[in-house]
Parts: sequence; C-alpha cells; structure tokens
Amino acid sequence: MKPGDNRGMASVAVLLFAIVAMMILMANFKLNSAVAASSDAFDAYNSQLVEKNGIAQIVKESVLAVGETALAPSGNSLQAEIQNRLGSMNFPAGVTVALGAAVPALPANPFFPSVPPAASQLAYFSAAPRGLAGMGGLLASLAIQGPAVDLGRYVFTFARTDSNSPNDSQTYVVNADLFSVPLTDVDVVAYGLPATGSIPLAAPAVPVGTFGSGVSELVVTSNNPASDPTAWPDLYAGSGPETLPYQFRNAVSFAWNAYEYLWGAGYQDAILGAAAGDQAVYDFSGANNPVIAGVSVSGNALTIDCSAVQSQVVAIVDAEGVGSVSIEGSPAGGNPFILLIRNTAGSLGQTQVAFSGNNHRAAIFYLENAAVTFSGSPQIQGALFLDRTSGATGTVTWFGHLSFYAAASPLGTLNLTLEDAPAVKNALSALAPRVLLVSTTATR
Amino acid sequence: MKPAAFPGRAGFSLVEGTVALVVTAIMMGALTSAMGSLFQSQAQPQVSFQSHAYSLAPSFQNFRQAVDLHAAFAQTVDQADNVIVIGGTRSHPTADPNGPSSALAETFSATSLTAAAGSDAFQGFSSWDQLELNGAQLAPYLTTHPDPADFTILTVQGQSHITSITQQRRYTAAINGQNVVLYEVTLQAIDWSSGSGVPTASPLTGSNPTYFYRTYYNASEDAWSQPPGATHYWYRTDPAWDRDQEGPTRVIFADPYVLAGQDPLAQIAAVSRFSYFLPQTR
Repeated sequence: MKPGDNRGMASVAVLLFAIVAMMILMANFKLNSAVAASSDAFDAYNSQLVEKNGIAQIVKESVLAVGETALAPSGNSLQAEIQNRLGSMNFPAGVTVALGAAVPALPANPFFPSVPPAASQLAYFSAAPRGLAGMGGLLASLAIQGPAVDLGRYVFTFARTDSNSPNDSQTYVVNADLFSVPLTDVDVVAYGLPATGSIPLAAPAVPVGTFGSGVSELVVTSNNPASDPTAWPDLYAGSGPETLPYQFRNAVSFAWNAYEYLWGAGYQDAILGAAAGDQAVYDFSGANNPVIAGVSVSGNALTIDCSAVQSQVVAIVDAEGVGSVSIEGSPAGGNPFILLIRNTAGSLGQTQVAFSGNNHRAAIFYLENAAVTFSGSPQIQGALFLDRTSGATGTVTWFGHLSFYAAASPLGTLNLTLEDAPAVKNALSALAPRVLLVSTTATR
Repeated sequence: MKPAAFPGRAGFSLVEGTVALVVTAIMMGALTSAMGSLFQSQAQPQVSFQSHAYSLAPSFQNFRQAVDLHAAFAQTVDQADNVIVIGGTRSHPTADPNGPSSALAETFSATSLTAAAGSDAFQGFSSWDQLELNGAQLAPYLTTHPDPADFTILTVQGQSHITSITQQRRYTAAINGQNVVLYEVTLQAIDWSSGSGVPTASPLTGSNPTYFYRTYYNASEDAWSQPPGATHYWYRTDPAWDRDQEGPTRVIFADPYVLAGQDPLAQIAAVSRFSYFLPQTR
C-alpha cells in the first residue's frame, strides 16, 4: 500500500470518529437542552397557575369591595376596583395583564327589609341549583350550612401578553360565583367588630355541653399564640401588624364585617323603618305609642306575647334605658317575625329583657344594650342577636342561631344548650341579613 | 499514479509522521475517554424492585414522566376544594408532632370519601380531621412503619369526590450488592365527567396509575437540602370551638433529574424542583 493511501485511510477514520463524537456530543447537548426546556416550561406553567389565581383573587376582592355586606363598601365601579388592584401588581419584565372591555354588572344582594330572593338549600353536586363543588371548601363550608341564594356566575377575561415570550401570552378567564348567605345559617357566631369595636384575640370559653351535635360555630381570632393560646406559631409572622392568612377571608366577611353592617345605624334604622311602616314601633320615651298586636303595656313594662304578634317587625325603642320587656313564647308555630329592642341609652341603663315560656314561633331577636334573663328554662326557636353591650343569664335551650360580641360573651353567665335547627334556619332566611360570599376560579 | 494536483509530494517526513501519530494518539485517547465518560453518564442502569423498574438518577425518561405527572398534579390541586395530605411530619401538632405518620397503602383506590358526604363542612379544615372523619374507610389502608418521605395526597371536590390519588414512597434495599434508595411517585387521576368516578388510564401504558416515575440513588447520594416528604403546618387547634385549622402543607417530591442527590462538596444544595406549598382548603 502506498503512503498516500495510508494517509487517506487514516484521515477517513479520524473524520468518521470525529463525526460520531460530534453526534454524541450533539445528542448530549440536545438532551440537556430538552431537560432545560421542559423544566422552564414546567416552571412557566406553575408560575402562570399562581399568576391566574392572583388575578382571581383580585376579582374577588374587587367584588367584595363593591358589594360586601359591610360598612361603607366602595363607591367605585367594579372596573375601577379591578384596575386599581391590577395596577398595583408587579409582573415579570415584558408581561402585561389587561382587563377585558366587557366587565359584567354585579347583581344586587337584597335582604330584609328589601324583598330578598327565596333561599334554598344548596348541594355540592347538583344541576339546578348548581352544585358548590369546585368553588372551594372555604366558601362551600359556609354556603352549605343552611338555605342560601345563588346570585350567579360572572365572567371576567384578562389578556396576558408577554413581549419576551409570545408563546406565554394567555387569556385568563375568571369566573366569579356569588352567593348570598343568611347570617342565621351558622348556629353560633362570636363576632368581632374591627371598625367600631375590637376583634376577638381569643375565642370565648365554652362550658362543656353548650353546643349540641351538628352545631356550626364560627369565631375568627388572632393568629398570634401570645394572644390566642390555641394558635400555633408555624406560620405566624411576629413582626409588624398581624395579618390574617387569606384562608380566613370568607370567615371574616361572615363573622366580622357583616356584624359591623348589622349593628350599624343604617341597618338598624332600616329595620326600625320597616316596623314604623307597620305602626309597630313602641318608644318608651314617646308620649303617644300605637297599639301593637301582641304587645301590652304597663308603665315602663312591656309584655310581648309571641303567639299574638301580627306585624312582621316589632320595634321597641328605649333611648333612656328605663324599660323592661317580657317576652312570652308561643306554644304554636306561625309566621316568623322580627323583634328589635333598640336601646341607645348607653351607660344610662340597659333594657331589661326577660324570656319565659317555650317558643315555637321562629323569630329574630335583635337586642341592643339589653340585660337578658331566661326564666323557667325555656326552649326557644329563633335567632338571638346580642349587641356588644348585651349580656344574658339564666338557663335556656335555644334552637337556631345565637350571635354575640366575642369580647362580651354571655357564655360565662348563661346556662345555654344550643341545638342546630334546620327548620328554624329555613323559616328565618327571608328575614335575616345576608352575607355576600364570592368564589373566584380562573382558567388559562 | 500520483495525483496530478500534488506534484512533487512524496509523503510525510519522519518528523511529520511521528508528530501526526502522537497527536492522533492523544486525540483518539481523549475522545475515547470523553465518550466513555459520556456513555457512562448517559447509560441508564435500571433495577427491578417489587416488580417495577427503577432508573438510576439522573434519568431523562423519568424526568419527562415527572413533568407530565406534576403538570397533572398541579392542575388537579388547582381545581380541588380540599387537598388531604396523609403522612409526613406534624400531621397534628399535639397528637402527632413528630411523625412520620402513616400514608395510605398504594392499594387504596377508592373514588369517594363515603363517610364525609353530608358531614359538617366546618369539620374538614385539616387533613387530620378528614382522616378522623373518614376513619372507618381509610384506617384499614394506613401503612405501618412509614418512611418520612412517604405520603398520600387526595384531591377532593365537594366533600366526597376524589379527583386524584398521589402517592410517594421511599424504599431502601440492597440490590446486586449495592445499597440503594428507591423513590416511587404515582398519580391516579379520577374522571368524574360522567357523573361517577372513573380511574384514568396511563397514556403511556394504558393501565393504572395515570402517571408515575420510579427512580433510585446509591444510598450515599440520597442526601437533600430539603428531604422529600410532607411537613404539615398549623394555624390553630381548638377543641372548644372545634377549630382544627391546618395551614399549607409543604410537600417535596423526589426529583429524578439534575438535582437528584447531593454532592457533599457541592456549593449548591440539592433541592427538588417538585416542591409545593399546598393549602388544605381553598
């Protein structure tokens, strides 16, 4: 073989070897490249899941800002609320998220004394009314406790554009599901008043046996173990003002904000107005009071016979704290009604309110600045709302709803047995204040 | 006959030839060594354990399967009303503060939590409560001697519809004279679109589970900055007001690629990319 042929063969061998080596190196490069690309795609997918859920939260907070059952909701339009929140968000470089032009109008959330839509028991899985499954356990846990109203689904679209990565441009669709839930659906609420009072740092003590089987209880307290011994420090940030985790948002709507609204002058006046329309307001300080069916008067003492009340609302006004009211239960059922005892006397004196006799006619009792006693261990169906200055003593078995200011819990002085009563919830749903709850879910 | 294009060239000189030979030998040696290393690193040794094939990490095939699994997992978590994490540490701050607690056996394949349907919705705010609530159904499946990395995650819609069952198991074994640690991650998706729960078959195998990956490490390499497993975090436990309020659970799955195993000398600690902070309720 000639030297030139040897050189050629060697060159070919080296070339082949080099090609194979290059192919292997290329394959390895592509493998690592594919891992990196897959990893990036997975990270992008996950980050967009978080991003879309953040947008959903913006919609939820905006809806609540406009329509929550709370004192002084925002006067802004829903679009403005969403834009404000969107504008305060920081997105990655090159990414913009824009609210679509068509922003749906939200429904009203009417409840007594406005004419409310009929409430019905919702289910997790149902075609009509639609089921609650998929709307989140935190909302469903409240909306399933008794009759509620499905106010419908409202759809918001957001265009996400990414100038650096056009493939990551998306359309986020946020579905906002609105529900109106009577406050009386939850059996016991130890509420807080973040604006006009305080929020409960810790839950009130509960004597053993107070709450019967199936009783739903709601209290939202501090996450700081130093304030609430039941709290764990796992996720508590000790510095700065305490911020409750978002998990408690719905519960706060129910147990704090709705009670600010309920005990606010606006709603109290609305109930008083409804009673006035029925000529069913008795004023201890008034010279001329109407004759009200079921109400008898003896000096500053009133007796209310629940079986004889005919008005849908009866209001007793005690601006000087001089009155006493005896409430006699109805042995038979009947149309539910509201009894409002409004005492604006403050430290001048509480209205003495005494319950006696079993009551089978469901009623809502709003008692302001009242000293409540139960005599004869009555069994009472209804909803008892105690304001921040009211207290209670005696022994009672209550079927239905009880709510009280957590910082003025009556459970230390009241020998109470409370039972869940679905029939009472149903009966009172047309008269009870209702809380707007919102679930938002987003798709991409 | 000489090529006409190379007139006068009779061949390399002795020096040229020697240099060429040495250079070629060095090149060939280097390439052979490099490719040997390459093949070694790219080769995918597998072992068989409990009738399943496990690939030595890092494994690209496992990584692809892991991405598919976790994309499905993230989606099903996103659509769940409740995420029940069974196993791990601190499943209850006082009743089980240290763990590891039992997971559900891999034979668990129910599509519904029958005991939970119709129960008080306020009582489902922790995985611990869910486990108690559904105790009669789940207790027979609780594993004995669980590994700290073991857990079972149920995603649930409503109170009862299980939409996925995700399992992680860590095993230790001596295989072919080598101590190894094996990780198995499976996800069984359950489709309720027909109105009843139907397990979704794997697009790869046509059988259950829907997604899986199985990987192993030499025992000495199974060192992580954040070890695989589940850690429960709690907001509150309050028997008086029936408030067992669990916070998000940190869940770390085994990562079959790139960051698998930790080199003690490495500057960057091994952390799985498949790590989650899962809210128990949403």
